[in-house]
Amino acid sequence: MFLSDAELIEARRILPRQWIQWYHAPALASAVRAGQFVHVRTGDWSGLVLRRPFTVNTADPATGIVSIHFREVGRGTAWLAHMRAGDRLDVLGPLGQGFQVDPRNRHLLLIAGGVGIADLRLLADEAIHDGRQVVLLYGARDASEVYPSSLLPDELEYVVATEDGSVGHRGLVTDLVTEYEAWADQAFACGPVPMLRVLAGIAAGRTKRLGVATLGRKRGGGKPVPMGSPQARRKAFLQVSMEQRMGCAVGACLGCVVWGVDGPQRVCREGPVFASEEIDWEATVGTARPAAPSDRRTAPRTRRAAPAGRAGR
Amino acid sequence: MKARKRVITSGGKAKRSPTVRKIKPAWVGPVARTERPRSTAARPEAATPAAPRADPVAGLRAPDAAADLASGGAAATLAATEPAARPGAGTVDLAVDLGRGLVLENPVLVASGTFGYGVEYGEVVDVQRIGAICCKGTTLRPRVGNQPPRVTETPAGMLNSIGLQNPGVDAVIERYAAIWAGWQVPVIVNVAGESIEDYVGVVRKLDGVPGVAGVELNISCPNVGKGGLQFAIDRDAASAVTRAVRAATDLPLIVKLSPNVSDVRPIARAIADAGADALSAVNTLSGMALRPDRSGPLLGNVYGGLSGPAIKPVALRIVYEVAQVVDIPIIAIGGVAGIDDVLDYLAAGAVAVQVGTAVFADPVLPVRLVDELRAVCAARGLDSYGPLVGTALPRRPVPPSAKGVEYRP
Repeated sequence: MFLSDAELIEARRILPRQWIQWYHAPALASAVRAGQFVHVRTGDWSGLVLRRPFTVNTADPATGIVSIHFREVGRGTAWLAHMRAGDRLDVLGPLGQGFQVDPRNRHLLLIAGGVGIADLRLLADEAIHDGRQVVLLYGARDASEVYPSSLLPDELEYVVATEDGSVGHRGLVTDLVTEYEAWADQAFACGPVPMLRVLAGIAAGRTKRLGVATLGRKRGGGKPVPMGSPQARRKAFLQVSMEQRMGCAVGACLGCVVWGVDGPQRVCREGPVFASEEIDWEATVGTARPAAPSDRRTAPRTRRAAPAGRAGR
Repeated sequence: MKARKRVITSGGKAKRSPTVRKIKPAWVGPVARTERPRSTAARPEAATPAAPRADPVAGLRAPDAAADLASGGAAATLAATEPAARPGAGTVDLAVDLGRGLVLENPVLVASGTFGYGVEYGEVVDVQRIGAICCKGTTLRPRVGNQPPRVTETPAGMLNSIGLQNPGVDAVIERYAAIWAGWQVPVIVNVAGESIEDYVGVVRKLDGVPGVAGVELNISCPNVGKGGLQFAIDRDAASAVTRAVRAATDLPLIVKLSPNVSDVRPIARAIADAGADALSAVNTLSGMALRPDRSGPLLGNVYGGLSGPAIKPVALRIVYEVAQVVDIPIIAIGGVAGIDDVLDYLAAGAVAVQVGTAVFADPVLPVRLVDELRAVCAARGLDSYGPLVGTALPRRPVPPSAKGVEYRP
């Protein structure tokens, strides 16, 4: 964690109201791991007092370039969208715990809802670099919001679901998971809370449904690992990246908690990546900002504040 | 004798910088306001009986402590023979005495709840350069806090309703006291509770713990349904809890005022009379925000505390009012985001400020404010910021603000 002065190299609007911006921040590009985020200071634009958290979308240590992908949802992200090449940004990071990939796993399933793909993009890069096979399931409302495949690595298998059926599978992205759950060794998801909750249910019943054998001398017994530790997260089938309105992003203010089975968990410190069984989904769904009525019916779209400004409107 | 690291000894034995000096609140009287800092330092210590004996030359030493430690006596003599006001950043001494020996190297603190326990920001911030750290509100037993969402941004401010999530005083002492004891920067533990017994229980446990430099009573947290607000809005209750805590400990005692009252002055006076060493003003204002679709309140707790630049005029008014009725030091809190805010609060009668919400946007702001305040003093040829304190206060007390918004011809 450190403060860096990032210079905007290029900004591109990839979808309606969604942007990817590439910044030159060499120290950050070397330090960041998939799933970690940065806390970005907005200009003092009529009183924006909080930073905005964004998951690092891609990072290239060779060129020192880091990108963020966000949706314009409020004044903070609107300010960011007006940045021009050469402008500088005050960035605190990398922050939080990233995704934990078990080194033995070959098949990774990534499930993204809407702009939640921003959290998984770097994981896909890292996994492909390590020679793993990656399938990305992507859910959107309609064809106009589908992430362009040109921005994804060629090695990745990209499966799209849209709610109106205009591209790919008609329905929710969670419908696709059953086809891949037997193939996948580990799954990683980011998106709206209702989607993550459905996935957590699928992950919880997976072992029984598939009759997965626990191999090894101790048959999966062995030494118990404390919940929330990197080892426990590596063992979990599903890891989710959570969002919450955030204050300090270093664990000081206790503002960004989500409810876990062991009580409140700080998204900025214990998270943003959690094993799905760490989260108390009933409590989290109850306290999550209910989406607009149309969104509630259609889980994968929803406003995804996550990288697009967990903190801000 | 309790082994407390806060004890400031005279002479070369001081663990901290030996340049500490007593600055009386300049607003105690018109004479004090015009006094040169040199004579302020030499005044008798009647108001702070527990304070260590002031080294007569300590106040006159140049603050470059490391250099002075070696050649202590010579430097002091040199400084004493020179005029007190020497321009140049190196000669400005920002030390401030908050009573009972709680002497800070500079008057910029970080506010409770915004800096955790001082360890969270890691190497991003050099905590040793901050005046003092007020840690997260601590209660007798662990608390899980309120339902999320707990924070949201509002125009020029933020709302929070953390609900005093903390691991309890025992865990706080176990986890952090040893770290604090190794720091030069004093750590003031913010104490919250639902009853007088809670406060006394926490403070008794903190008393004598190495690393705990003082306590700040949060009698005004608006987020706890039971108790909480009641102490801060009621003069007798505020007085009772202050007196009970005062009887329980010799630690420097700061009491944090709530802005959610119609007239803060009788409450402040009652707290001062009950034995508080200093006041901090103010806590957050009660407020709320709605969900973007306006289907209900946004925060899980419905109500939250408003902080940030939005509340600065309110906090400034309260500091201004309280400074006219009490003789103990006042620590201003509320929307400090730059050196102008610091100077405003000093002019309104505060002797120190706490930086809160602005730390989230700029973690190194407190350290920068220290440098900027030093530069301001140097530019004006001052060797301490004492002359900046209370310059805006009226010569005689003005009517309370409860009537201030009425039309007056």
